[in-house]
Amino acid sequence: MKVELLVRSGCSSCAQAEAIWRLVVDEREFELAVLDVAEAAGSTRAEQLALKAVPAVLMDGELKAVGVVCIQEARELTQAAPLKAHAMLRRMGMFFSVENRWFIVSAQVYLMLAGIGLVLNGSLLSDSASRPAFLHLFTLGFLLFMIYGLGAHMLPRFTGNPLVEGSTWSWVQMGLAHVGVTAYAVGYFAGWQALTLGGAVFAWCSLLIFLLRVWPVLWPNKRS
Amino acid sequence: MHKRNRLFVSIALVYGLLGGLVAILRLIDPALIPGNVPRMHGHIMLLGLILMMIYGIALHVLPRFGGFPLYSERMADWQLYLANAGLPLMIVGWLTFIDGWVIAGGLLSYAAIILFGLNMILTVRAARSVSHES
Repeated sequence: MKVELLVRSGCSSCAQAEAIWRLVVDEREFELAVLDVAEAAGSTRAEQLALKAVPAVLMDGELKAVGVVCIQEARELTQAAPLKAHAMLRRMGMFFSVENRWFIVSAQVYLMLAGIGLVLNGSLLSDSASRPAFLHLFTLGFLLFMIYGLGAHMLPRFTGNPLVEGSTWSWVQMGLAHVGVTAYAVGYFAGWQALTLGGAVFAWCSLLIFLLRVWPVLWPNKRS
Repeated sequence: MHKRNRLFVSIALVYGLLGGLVAILRLIDPALIPGNVPRMHGHIMLLGLILMMIYGIALHVLPRFGGFPLYSERMADWQLYLANAGLPLMIVGWLTFIDGWVIAGGLLSYAAIILFGLNMILTVRAARSVSHES
Protein backbone atom coordinates (compact mmCIF):
# COMPACT_ATOMS: atom_id res chain seq x y z
CA MET A 1 0.00 0.00 0.00
CA LYS A 2 1.31 3.46 -0.90
CA VAL A 3 -0.07 6.64 0.60
CA GLU A 4 0.82 9.97 -1.02
CA LEU A 5 0.15 13.13 0.92
CA LEU A 6 0.08 16.24 -1.25
CA VAL A 7 1.03 19.36 0.67
CA ARG A 8 2.19 22.91 0.08
CA SER A 9 4.99 24.50 2.11
CA GLY A 10 3.76 27.23 4.42
CA CYS A 11 0.28 25.64 4.70
CA SER A 12 -0.45 25.04 8.38
CA SER A 13 -3.13 22.39 7.84
CA CYS A 14 -0.66 20.53 5.59
CA ALA A 15 1.83 20.38 8.49
CA GLN A 16 -0.93 19.07 10.72
CA ALA A 17 -1.89 16.41 8.14
CA GLU A 18 1.73 15.35 7.76
CA ALA A 19 2.12 14.97 11.55
CA ILE A 20 -0.95 12.73 11.67
CA TRP A 21 0.24 10.54 8.80
CA ARG A 22 3.72 10.26 10.36
CA LEU A 23 2.05 8.78 13.46
CA VAL A 24 0.01 6.30 11.44
CA VAL A 25 2.94 5.18 9.29
CA ASP A 26 4.77 4.41 12.53
CA GLU A 27 2.01 1.94 13.39
CA ARG A 28 1.39 0.15 10.10
CA GLU A 29 3.37 -1.27 7.21
CA PHE A 30 2.75 1.05 4.25
CA GLU A 31 4.76 3.49 2.21
CA LEU A 32 4.21 7.19 2.85
CA ALA A 33 5.34 9.83 0.38
CA VAL A 34 4.87 13.50 1.19
CA LEU A 35 4.85 15.52 -2.04
CA ASP A 36 5.00 19.29 -2.17
CA VAL A 37 2.85 20.64 -5.00
CA ALA A 38 5.36 23.49 -5.40
CA GLU A 39 7.88 20.91 -6.60
CA ALA A 40 7.90 18.94 -9.83
CA ALA A 41 6.71 15.53 -8.54
CA GLY A 42 3.94 17.04 -6.46
CA SER A 43 2.70 19.44 -9.11
CA THR A 44 2.58 16.66 -11.75
CA ARG A 45 0.47 14.54 -9.39
CA ALA A 46 -1.85 17.49 -8.63
CA GLU A 47 -2.27 18.24 -12.34
CA GLN A 48 -3.06 14.62 -13.16
CA LEU A 49 -5.89 14.66 -10.60
CA ALA A 50 -6.92 18.29 -11.29
CA LEU A 51 -6.47 18.98 -7.58
CA LYS A 52 -7.23 22.50 -6.44
CA ALA A 53 -6.81 22.10 -2.67
CA VAL A 54 -4.25 20.58 -0.31
CA PRO A 55 -3.61 18.62 1.81
CA ALA A 56 -4.90 15.70 -0.21
CA VAL A 57 -4.50 11.98 0.38
CA LEU A 58 -3.94 9.50 -2.43
CA MET A 59 -3.93 5.78 -1.78
CA ASP A 60 -2.32 3.67 -4.48
CA GLY A 61 -2.83 6.57 -6.86
CA GLU A 62 -6.50 7.07 -6.04
CA LEU A 63 -7.75 10.25 -4.38
CA LYS A 64 -9.18 9.36 -0.96
CA ALA A 65 -9.52 12.64 0.93
CA VAL A 66 -9.02 16.33 0.63
CA GLY A 67 -8.31 18.33 3.77
CA VAL A 68 -6.95 17.17 7.11
CA VAL A 69 -8.12 13.69 8.05
CA CYS A 70 -8.14 12.93 11.77
CA ILE A 71 -5.95 10.12 13.06
CA GLN A 72 -8.92 7.80 13.43
CA GLU A 73 -9.86 8.25 9.78
CA ALA A 74 -6.24 7.77 8.75
CA ARG A 75 -6.12 4.51 10.71
CA GLU A 76 -9.35 3.35 9.08
CA LEU A 77 -8.03 4.17 5.62
CA THR A 78 -4.92 2.08 6.25
CA GLN A 79 -6.43 -0.74 8.28
CA ALA A 80 -5.71 -3.23 5.49
CA ALA A 81 -1.97 -2.68 6.04
CA PRO A 82 -0.39 -5.02 8.64
CA LEU A 83 0.66 -3.67 12.01
CA LYS A 84 4.36 -3.05 12.54
CA ALA A 85 6.05 -5.41 15.00
CA HIS A 86 6.64 -2.76 17.66
CA ALA A 87 3.02 -1.63 17.44
CA MET A 88 1.98 -5.22 18.16
CA LEU A 89 3.92 -5.43 21.43
CA ARG A 90 1.42 -6.11 24.15
CA ARG A 91 1.17 -3.69 27.02
CA MET A 92 2.73 -4.78 30.27
CA GLY A 93 0.60 -2.84 32.73
CA MET A 94 -0.15 -4.00 36.24
CA PHE A 95 -3.60 -5.33 35.56
CA PHE A 96 -4.91 -8.31 33.63
CA SER A 97 -5.65 -7.83 29.95
CA VAL A 98 -9.26 -8.61 28.97
CA GLU A 99 -8.42 -12.04 27.57
CA ASN A 100 -6.34 -13.08 30.58
CA ARG A 101 -9.16 -11.95 32.86
CA TRP A 102 -11.51 -14.20 30.89
CA PHE A 103 -9.10 -17.12 31.18
CA ILE A 104 -9.10 -16.74 34.97
CA VAL A 105 -12.90 -16.31 35.18
CA SER A 106 -13.45 -19.34 32.95
CA ALA A 107 -11.09 -21.39 35.13
CA GLN A 108 -13.23 -20.69 38.20
CA VAL A 109 -16.40 -21.72 36.35
CA TYR A 110 -14.80 -25.02 35.30
CA LEU A 111 -13.56 -25.54 38.87
CA MET A 112 -17.09 -25.19 40.22
CA LEU A 113 -18.49 -27.51 37.54
CA ALA A 114 -15.78 -30.08 38.23
CA GLY A 115 -16.35 -29.85 41.97
CA ILE A 116 -20.08 -30.46 41.65
CA GLY A 117 -19.44 -33.44 39.42
CA LEU A 118 -16.85 -35.02 41.66
CA VAL A 119 -19.07 -34.66 44.71
CA LEU A 120 -22.32 -35.82 43.10
CA ASN A 121 -21.09 -38.29 40.57
CA GLY A 122 -17.41 -38.76 41.13
CA SER A 123 -15.06 -40.92 43.05
CA LEU A 124 -15.54 -39.81 46.66
CA LEU A 125 -17.25 -43.09 47.46
CA SER A 126 -16.82 -45.08 44.28
CA ASP A 127 -15.59 -44.70 40.71
CA SER A 128 -18.24 -43.71 38.20
CA ALA A 129 -18.18 -43.87 34.44
CA SER A 130 -18.36 -40.08 34.21
CA ARG A 131 -15.32 -39.56 36.44
CA PRO A 132 -12.97 -38.74 33.52
CA ALA A 133 -15.33 -36.00 32.34
CA PHE A 134 -15.26 -34.22 35.70
CA LEU A 135 -11.58 -34.94 36.24
CA HIS A 136 -10.81 -33.23 32.92
CA LEU A 137 -13.11 -30.32 33.75
CA PHE A 138 -10.71 -29.82 36.65
CA THR A 139 -7.43 -30.44 34.82
CA LEU A 140 -8.18 -29.06 31.35
CA GLY A 141 -10.79 -26.58 32.52
CA PHE A 142 -9.41 -25.23 35.77
CA LEU A 143 -5.65 -25.95 35.82
CA LEU A 144 -4.95 -25.30 32.14
CA PHE A 145 -7.03 -22.11 32.01
CA MET A 146 -5.23 -20.85 35.13
CA ILE A 147 -1.89 -21.56 33.44
CA TYR A 148 -3.09 -19.74 30.31
CA GLY A 149 -4.31 -16.65 32.16
CA LEU A 150 -1.55 -16.37 34.73
CA GLY A 151 1.20 -17.49 32.35
CA ALA A 152 0.40 -14.91 29.68
CA HIS A 153 0.17 -12.24 32.38
CA MET A 154 3.22 -13.12 34.47
CA LEU A 155 5.83 -14.50 32.06
CA PRO A 156 6.30 -11.19 30.18
CA ARG A 157 6.76 -9.46 33.55
CA PHE A 158 9.15 -12.08 34.91
CA THR A 159 11.32 -12.09 31.79
CA GLY A 160 10.99 -8.46 30.73
CA ASN A 161 10.02 -9.64 27.23
CA PRO A 162 6.59 -8.62 25.99
CA LEU A 163 4.26 -10.90 24.05
CA VAL A 164 4.95 -10.08 20.41
CA GLU A 165 1.51 -10.54 18.86
CA GLY A 166 -1.91 -9.03 18.82
CA SER A 167 -4.73 -10.34 20.96
CA THR A 168 -6.18 -12.42 18.09
CA TRP A 169 -4.23 -15.58 18.90
CA SER A 170 -5.11 -15.44 22.58
CA TRP A 171 -8.82 -15.35 21.64
CA VAL A 172 -8.33 -18.21 19.18
CA GLN A 173 -6.55 -20.13 21.94
CA MET A 174 -9.41 -19.41 24.32
CA GLY A 175 -12.06 -20.47 21.79
CA LEU A 176 -10.25 -23.73 21.06
CA ALA A 177 -9.81 -24.43 24.78
CA HIS A 178 -13.50 -23.80 25.58
CA VAL A 179 -14.73 -25.91 22.69
CA GLY A 180 -12.16 -28.57 23.58
CA VAL A 181 -13.05 -28.88 27.28
CA THR A 182 -16.79 -28.76 26.64
CA ALA A 183 -16.70 -31.28 23.79
CA TYR A 184 -14.45 -33.58 25.81
CA ALA A 185 -16.73 -33.54 28.86
CA VAL A 186 -19.99 -33.84 26.88
CA GLY A 187 -18.50 -36.56 24.67
CA TYR A 188 -17.50 -38.58 27.72
CA PHE A 189 -20.90 -38.11 29.33
CA ALA A 190 -22.83 -39.03 26.22
CA GLY A 191 -20.48 -41.82 25.24
CA TRP A 192 -19.66 -40.14 21.91
CA GLN A 193 -16.08 -41.14 21.31
CA ALA A 194 -15.67 -38.88 18.26
CA LEU A 195 -16.77 -35.82 20.23
CA THR A 196 -14.37 -36.70 23.05
CA LEU A 197 -11.54 -37.08 20.55
CA GLY A 198 -12.45 -33.81 18.83
CA GLY A 199 -12.46 -32.05 22.20
CA ALA A 200 -9.04 -33.45 23.04
CA VAL A 201 -7.63 -32.27 19.70
CA PHE A 202 -9.06 -28.76 20.19
CA ALA A 203 -7.66 -28.54 23.71
CA TRP A 204 -4.26 -29.76 22.45
CA CYS A 205 -4.27 -27.11 19.71
CA SER A 206 -4.99 -24.43 22.31
CA LEU A 207 -1.94 -25.58 24.30
CA LEU A 208 0.17 -25.51 21.14
CA ILE A 209 -0.92 -21.92 20.44
CA PHE A 210 -0.11 -20.94 24.02
CA LEU A 211 3.35 -22.49 23.71
CA LEU A 212 3.97 -20.64 20.43
CA ARG A 213 2.79 -17.37 22.02
CA VAL A 214 5.01 -17.57 25.10
CA TRP A 215 8.08 -19.20 23.52
CA PRO A 216 9.51 -15.86 22.24
CA VAL A 217 8.88 -14.43 25.71
CA LEU A 218 10.91 -17.22 27.34
CA TRP A 219 13.58 -17.45 24.63
CA PRO A 220 13.75 -14.12 22.78
CA ASN A 221 15.77 -13.83 19.62
CA LYS A 222 18.86 -11.94 20.81
CA ARG A 223 19.25 -10.19 17.47
CA SER A 224 15.81 -8.59 17.83
CA MET B 1 14.06 -14.80 34.99
CA HIS B 2 16.79 -17.40 35.61
CA LYS B 3 17.53 -19.64 32.62
CA ARG B 4 16.81 -22.74 34.74
CA ASN B 5 13.35 -21.44 35.63
CA ARG B 6 12.63 -20.62 31.99
CA LEU B 7 13.70 -24.18 31.16
CA PHE B 8 11.26 -25.53 33.74
CA VAL B 9 8.38 -23.55 32.19
CA SER B 10 9.36 -24.46 28.61
CA ILE B 11 9.77 -28.15 29.43
CA ALA B 12 6.42 -28.09 31.25
CA LEU B 13 4.68 -26.87 28.10
CA VAL B 14 6.42 -29.48 25.95
CA TYR B 15 5.35 -32.20 28.42
CA GLY B 16 1.81 -30.81 28.20
CA LEU B 17 1.81 -31.28 24.42
CA LEU B 18 3.35 -34.74 24.77
CA GLY B 19 0.81 -35.83 27.38
CA GLY B 20 -2.04 -34.48 25.26
CA LEU B 21 -0.72 -36.31 22.21
CA VAL B 22 -0.57 -39.56 24.18
CA ALA B 23 -4.23 -39.10 25.18
CA ILE B 24 -5.31 -38.27 21.62
CA LEU B 25 -3.53 -41.34 20.20
CA ARG B 26 -5.15 -43.54 22.83
CA LEU B 27 -8.58 -42.10 22.01
CA ILE B 28 -7.98 -42.83 18.31
CA ASP B 29 -6.91 -46.42 18.97
CA PRO B 30 -6.00 -47.85 22.39
CA ALA B 31 -3.57 -50.26 20.71
CA LEU B 32 -1.47 -47.49 19.13
CA ILE B 33 0.70 -47.03 22.23
CA PRO B 34 1.75 -50.03 24.27
CA GLY B 35 1.98 -50.08 28.05
CA ASN B 36 0.11 -48.46 30.88
CA VAL B 37 -1.04 -45.44 28.88
CA PRO B 38 -3.58 -43.85 31.27
CA ARG B 39 -1.03 -43.81 34.09
CA MET B 40 1.61 -42.45 31.73
CA HIS B 41 -0.75 -39.70 30.49
CA GLY B 42 -1.70 -38.75 34.05
CA HIS B 43 1.90 -38.51 35.21
CA ILE B 44 3.11 -36.62 32.13
CA MET B 45 0.39 -34.04 32.74
CA LEU B 46 0.76 -33.80 36.51
CA LEU B 47 4.52 -34.29 37.02
CA GLY B 48 5.44 -32.92 33.59
CA LEU B 49 3.09 -30.03 32.91
CA ILE B 50 1.73 -28.94 36.27
CA LEU B 51 4.64 -29.67 38.64
CA MET B 52 7.38 -28.37 36.31
CA MET B 53 5.32 -25.22 35.72
CA ILE B 54 5.01 -24.80 39.49
CA TYR B 55 8.77 -25.42 39.90
CA GLY B 56 9.63 -22.74 37.33
CA ILE B 57 7.22 -20.13 38.63
CA ALA B 58 7.75 -20.85 42.34
CA LEU B 59 11.56 -20.76 42.09
CA HIS B 60 11.17 -17.33 40.53
CA VAL B 61 8.49 -15.76 42.69
CA LEU B 62 8.79 -17.27 46.17
CA PRO B 63 12.25 -15.80 46.90
CA ARG B 64 10.97 -12.43 45.68
CA PHE B 65 7.80 -12.63 47.73
CA GLY B 66 9.89 -13.69 50.72
CA GLY B 67 12.30 -10.82 50.14
CA PHE B 68 15.34 -13.10 50.33
CA PRO B 69 17.44 -14.91 47.68
CA LEU B 70 16.85 -18.57 46.94
CA TYR B 71 18.56 -20.70 49.62
CA SER B 72 20.47 -22.79 47.08
CA GLU B 73 20.73 -22.31 43.33
CA ARG B 74 22.63 -25.60 43.18
CA MET B 75 19.75 -27.52 44.74
CA ALA B 76 17.39 -25.98 42.20
CA ASP B 77 19.73 -26.97 39.35
CA TRP B 78 19.83 -30.57 40.61
CA GLN B 79 16.07 -30.45 40.97
CA LEU B 80 15.87 -29.69 37.24
CA TYR B 81 18.20 -32.59 36.35
CA LEU B 82 16.49 -35.10 38.65
CA ALA B 83 12.95 -34.17 37.62
CA ASN B 84 13.86 -34.44 33.96
CA ALA B 85 15.69 -37.72 34.41
CA GLY B 86 12.92 -39.20 36.54
CA LEU B 87 9.87 -38.61 34.36
CA PRO B 88 11.36 -39.95 31.10
CA LEU B 89 12.50 -43.07 33.00
CA MET B 90 8.98 -43.55 34.32
CA ILE B 91 7.56 -43.10 30.80
CA VAL B 92 9.97 -45.69 29.37
CA GLY B 93 9.06 -48.04 32.23
CA TRP B 94 5.34 -47.76 31.50
CA LEU B 95 5.89 -48.18 27.76
CA THR B 96 7.99 -51.30 28.21
CA PHE B 97 6.20 -52.78 31.25
CA ILE B 98 9.50 -52.71 33.19
CA ASP B 99 8.46 -51.78 36.72
CA GLY B 100 12.08 -51.23 37.82
CA TRP B 101 12.40 -48.25 35.48
CA VAL B 102 9.15 -46.80 36.73
CA ILE B 103 10.34 -47.15 40.34
CA ALA B 104 13.78 -45.68 39.54
CA GLY B 105 12.15 -42.77 37.70
CA GLY B 106 9.72 -42.27 40.55
CA LEU B 107 12.56 -42.11 43.07
CA LEU B 108 14.41 -39.51 40.98
CA SER B 109 11.23 -37.45 40.60
CA TYR B 110 10.63 -37.71 44.33
CA ALA B 111 14.23 -36.61 45.02
CA ALA B 112 13.50 -33.51 42.92
CA ILE B 113 10.36 -32.88 44.98
CA ILE B 114 12.37 -33.17 48.23
CA LEU B 115 15.04 -30.78 46.94
CA PHE B 116 12.35 -28.27 45.93
CA GLY B 117 10.52 -28.56 49.24
CA LEU B 118 13.69 -28.15 51.33
CA ASN B 119 14.93 -25.28 49.19
CA MET B 120 11.63 -23.44 49.55
CA ILE B 121 11.38 -24.06 53.31
CA LEU B 122 14.95 -22.88 53.87
CA THR B 123 14.40 -19.83 51.66
CA VAL B 124 11.26 -18.78 53.50
CA ARG B 125 12.83 -19.51 56.92
CA ALA B 126 15.89 -17.41 56.02
CA ALA B 127 13.62 -14.55 55.10
CA ARG B 128 11.70 -14.96 58.36
CA SER B 129 14.82 -15.02 60.54
CA VAL B 130 16.05 -11.79 58.95
CA SER B 131 12.72 -10.07 59.50
CA HIS B 132 12.72 -11.24 63.14
CA GLU B 133 16.25 -9.87 63.71
CA SER B 134 15.26 -6.52 62.29
